[in-house]
Amino acid sequence: MRDNTLKYLLVLPAVLVVFVTAIWPLIEAARLSFTVGRLNRPGSLDQYLGWENYLWAFFEEPAFWNSVWVTAIYTLLTVGLTTVFALGLALLLAPGGRLRSSAQALLILPFAMSPALIGVSFRFMFNPEFGLFDAFFGIVFPPLADVSWLADPQLALAVVVMADVWGWIPFLTLVLIGGLASVPRDTVEAAQVDGASGWRVFKDVTLPQLAPVLAVVVILKSIFSLKTFDQVFMLTNGGPGTATQTLSHYIYFNGMKYGQIGYSASVAWLMVIPMIFLTYAYAKFVFRKADQ
Amino acid sequence: MTGKQKKQIFGAIQTALILIAMFIMLVPIIWIFLAAFKSHVDVYQLKLFFTPTLENFSVVFDDPYRLGEKLLNSTIVAFVTILFAIPIATLAAYSFSRFSMRGETLMLVTILATQFVPAVVIILPFFVMFRDIGLLDTRLGLILVNLAIVMPFAIWMIKGFIDGIPMDTEEAAMVDGSSRLQVIRNIVLPMAAPGLLTSAIFCFIIAWNEFLFALILTNKDAVTLPIGLGLFKGEEGDLWNLLSAAGIIIMAPMFVLALMIRKYFVQGMTMGAVR
Repeated sequence: MRDNTLKYLLVLPAVLVVFVTAIWPLIEAARLSFTVGRLNRPGSLDQYLGWENYLWAFFEEPAFWNSVWVTAIYTLLTVGLTTVFALGLALLLAPGGRLRSSAQALLILPFAMSPALIGVSFRFMFNPEFGLFDAFFGIVFPPLADVSWLADPQLALAVVVMADVWGWIPFLTLVLIGGLASVPRDTVEAAQVDGASGWRVFKDVTLPQLAPVLAVVVILKSIFSLKTFDQVFMLTNGGPGTATQTLSHYIYFNGMKYGQIGYSASVAWLMVIPMIFLTYAYAKFVFRKADQ
Repeated sequence: MTGKQKKQIFGAIQTALILIAMFIMLVPIIWIFLAAFKSHVDVYQLKLFFTPTLENFSVVFDDPYRLGEKLLNSTIVAFVTILFAIPIATLAAYSFSRFSMRGETLMLVTILATQFVPAVVIILPFFVMFRDIGLLDTRLGLILVNLAIVMPFAIWMIKGFIDGIPMDTEEAAMVDGSSRLQVIRNIVLPMAAPGLLTSAIFCFIIAWNEFLFALILTNKDAVTLPIGLGLFKGEEGDLWNLLSAAGIIIMAPMFVLALMIRKYFVQGMTMGAVR
């Protein structure tokens, strides 16, 4: 067979799988978003009502805006905190050596841990009666000892953010260590010889060189933060009330608990829009790398 | 203070910071490990020293929890998912790597982009369809949707590995009269084997830990391990010792697998944006 035909045949199965498992659901979700779409009402999945679902989300549903707000704060906090901590840890671990290498090896563990399990373990640690944090603050800072972390709206959000940051710091750190390794040694040394302080070297030499990797990390983490579901479900299930209800959780709840498939599909599509911009930005970085 | 002393103090501070960071990284994991070996009474007291028991591990496999069934489901689903995904992804990755095609960039970007589609968007239409054709609560249904999250990673990761294999051996074999398919089978596959294994393990971990699809699609027969965590609720709330034992069963095998592919973890997660 000629390569010209073969090359298309080789990608065909993969393209088909991607189409069926990802493209079709996107299109079908778009269609559903314009229907009445009640799970318990036969025929309502083909009953069209125009932009009604979208208008409903925008103008009639404070819970929708609440989840947008929660997701926005959550994303800002997790992306910011994870990036800052990961950068610090990467600078600390990058030089290598025995202690640092074994520390780097440990960083793989949270990736292997199911996000649902991370949620469970944080719920466990923040238990007000016998949780680890309860005991910890009992010794270090007694006023915080008997706080019911997960019963307070703000603190619950803080705990969810903490669990996320804990789970993602390792991955970002490993990426940034890789990025630091590609910062040329001699530029750094030249700056040091010229008498630049550690902070100046970092700010004027290391950081600019690291910028592309940092951008990749921030985009990627933003995408994952926006999608967050697993930990939230296991840790707080959106509560107390709707204080930690992210968009994914809101969509899940409306679609699966209330059977409003049409409405939740419209919210789901609203969520896809920021993803398109982020993916575009990310793809640009991937292909810039591939062209080199 | 001399410069040397300054350096020593600075070094000591760094070492301390590293140790603290490692401690924070390990605490939630250690906490689960400890609780899994505690008896029901000890869990509710913050003891660091206690008589370890293996009882939790046998309780979770008994009625009514039957974690063994979930373990089997998770294993089958994750395994069959990669059994489909890796060969399909390998063929595509080879083609993307070696040929230039019309629409190649568009295809690659689309594949990359599907990875970023929120899982909750994908699952709504699948839930409706599976309900209509009777695939709800089946392992087959779960395998199908798992392909959605695994394929983009697999294609991009394997493409990265094949890009790294020099083309001259292939060209020499073609000159000697081998066909393209023979070249793929006899030359590319053996050389790419470690990369394929790495990608398979990476995808296995992702499929194993997958939560949202299984939560929505399964309720009894096809329940996987992460969803099984929801079982351990008693009348007075969570049964932490059992939850922890189940947690170990979920994460311990993945720790081993993850350590095996440690070097390629970053490349896999970023789909080649960072190497």
